[in-house]
Amino acid sequence: MTTVGPTSTTVGVEEPKPPAQPTRAGRDHVSFRDWMTGAALLLPTVVMVLAVALYPVLRSVWMSFRNTSPILREDNFVGVANYGQLLADEGFRNAWLNTLWFTAVSTLIETLLGLGFALVLNHPFRGRGWVRAVVLIPWAIPTVVTSRMFGFLLDGQSGVVNYLLLQVGLIDAPINFTGDVRFAMGTIIMADVWKTTPFMALLILAALQSVPPSLHESAAIDGASSWRRFLSITMPMIMPALLIASLLRALDAFRIFDLPYVLTGGGPADSTEVLSTLSYKTLFSGSQYGLGSATTVLMFLTEAAIAALFAIWIARRFKILEG
Amino acid sequence: MGEDALSRRGFIKLGGGALGALVFGSSLAACGQGSAGGSNPAASSGRKVINFVTAKFESTTSMQDFVKPFNDSSSSYQVVVRELPPPSQSTEVHQQLVQQLGAASGDIDVFTQDVIWPAEFASAGWAMDLSSEFPQAERDKFFPGLVQSVTWQDKLVGLPFYLDAGQLYYRKDVLKDKGMKVPTTWQELATSAKALQGSGDIKNGFLWQGKQAEVLVCNVVSFVGGAGGAILGPDGKTVMIADQPAQTAIQFMYDTMNSLNITPKDVLSWDEEPSRKPFTAGNAAFLRQWSYVWKVSQDANQSQVVDKVGVAPLPHFPGGKSAACLGGYQLGVSESSKNKEGAVEFLRWMTSLDTQIRYAELFGSNPALRSAYADPRLAKVSPAMVQLKDVFEGGTPRPITPKYPQVSLAIQSAVSKALTTGDVAGNLAKVKSEIEKIVST
Repeated sequence: MTTVGPTSTTVGVEEPKPPAQPTRAGRDHVSFRDWMTGAALLLPTVVMVLAVALYPVLRSVWMSFRNTSPILREDNFVGVANYGQLLADEGFRNAWLNTLWFTAVSTLIETLLGLGFALVLNHPFRGRGWVRAVVLIPWAIPTVVTSRMFGFLLDGQSGVVNYLLLQVGLIDAPINFTGDVRFAMGTIIMADVWKTTPFMALLILAALQSVPPSLHESAAIDGASSWRRFLSITMPMIMPALLIASLLRALDAFRIFDLPYVLTGGGPADSTEVLSTLSYKTLFSGSQYGLGSATTVLMFLTEAAIAALFAIWIARRFKILEG
Repeated sequence: MGEDALSRRGFIKLGGGALGALVFGSSLAACGQGSAGGSNPAASSGRKVINFVTAKFESTTSMQDFVKPFNDSSSSYQVVVRELPPPSQSTEVHQQLVQQLGAASGDIDVFTQDVIWPAEFASAGWAMDLSSEFPQAERDKFFPGLVQSVTWQDKLVGLPFYLDAGQLYYRKDVLKDKGMKVPTTWQELATSAKALQGSGDIKNGFLWQGKQAEVLVCNVVSFVGGAGGAILGPDGKTVMIADQPAQTAIQFMYDTMNSLNITPKDVLSWDEEPSRKPFTAGNAAFLRQWSYVWKVSQDANQSQVVDKVGVAPLPHFPGGKSAACLGGYQLGVSESSKNKEGAVEFLRWMTSLDTQIRYAELFGSNPALRSAYADPRLAKVSPAMVQLKDVFEGGTPRPITPKYPQVSLAIQSAVSKALTTGDVAGNLAKVKSEIEKIVST
């Protein structure tokens, strides 16, 4: 996010014309002094970005090749030993797969549900503005609070959800939502869907509003059904934005931390252990800085791969659209 | 149309740029260097400063006010308090201590530490050896389990301050109605719990904590200890988690939820509070918990069972004895301290009878000093606390090793697997070799 900074600064620098040199001709020509001023004004931003973004990243990569531990007073270069240890470790592979599974399923559900929400919210109806605001509430609640809330709601002994399901007769015995390996990850995905669908709905709604109504009107005159119009006009028009939104969501979902950390602690039986909780435990409980850094680097590489996949998909989408 | 596509493409480009930054900025920025934040207010009237870094314990009194009597009476030293996060954020407290002690800047003289950290800090060379300052006779004044937990390689590397211990809460009204005795073995507890549940007198027989978290290790220490076993031997190297006593204990934990059916499987995601609530709501006969539950259970605003609760040492298996997992914060002196004489004098004051009782009064914590429990002033502060002396005498430390955090994580994962799958022997054998690898390096 920080790279947005320099762009806005440059815009600010180049606009005012220096009054000291009125004779200088050509609007495109930038004098050396102007260039220096620009560079000087940019410098603090560049330094800041390097200090807060690039330095920690490079340091993490550097640490991932070391066995740094303040407790054991060790800090040696160990090559790729940390990576070897991680790839051979069942716990890491399990967390990696859990994270991918969580990312894929939650992103898919949130995108589809978000699309549904957005289509409804794009239609004029009474109190639409109010509903649009209300829909955002789950997203505005801090995740730790959401986690606690779901903990109370889904409790096997006193939870409202089990009570209602029992009353309606859908189940015979309370479901152990967070304490059963079969349900724990599903419960976390459900909580995340509840929380983040509004965010997706909002992004997709913005895309829907860029679809010109005239297209729909002319298609309707030609006799296209609303389903046909949705498939042939709406979907192609919003597809790039939809993909971008899913990409944003997937990258964010990959870093899931608070929900499993508060709700299940990674359990039962490691079934909700994800890479963020695992690296937190390695780094801050175990003080194994080298191994923990290697975990975050592998996390970063996986995220980069996800982003690349989406990028290829989006680029191909564009070729179809343009060509 | 053309213009529309262009603007969308612009949007996408911008989005892509922002995205790149997002990925870079967020997923990797995990390892920062903490600052040691060493403010060092000058001592007034030439007294030497003792920097006391402590977790922020919950009380209406501040720690700085608490140490005022020491400051008022001492002509040569002055204690300056610096607070860390509260004990509930124990990982953050640990992290800050690691950074500040590791910096060895002399900014810390005395610190408070969770009962599971002394071996770690001592092996890193951050804790002063207090052996000669506090000979055996002095150490015997504290509960033995606590002294064990601040002892590393036969050296005293900390001093007990206050403690907590796992204990058995029971519904004395229900037990009395049925003419049942307070159980002293797990078999007795299982029989009573099953009978009470079967007759419909109470919903849950017995509650404990099985969430894959530190609290699970505390439960394991109590059950395994009660069978005469341990996670690690006293040498800190011999792994005993796959031995027969441990197998018996973990199997019993599994059985409570399965063959015995006295515990709901919900405990697999419960830590302290979710397990406390059904008990104080009157829905459980027995509960394994810390001492804070006593106060809650006697508060009519939060509890349906006021005056109906009893506390006893946790049961044990035949041939074993009750093992209460120890908690609480202890004191330590930094090896890099420039004022060790002052630090030791402050430690003596903190663990004196008067200070211990005053601390119990103002912070509600159980004194580490045994003699406090015979003092009528403590009975006045809390009659219940005095009765806990037997529980505390049987206090059992968690494994004492500098690698404790890693050992704990391995136990959490393996026992959680054993409890969900029922494969006790397989998972314990596996975690045994894992822990052997951890403690051997």
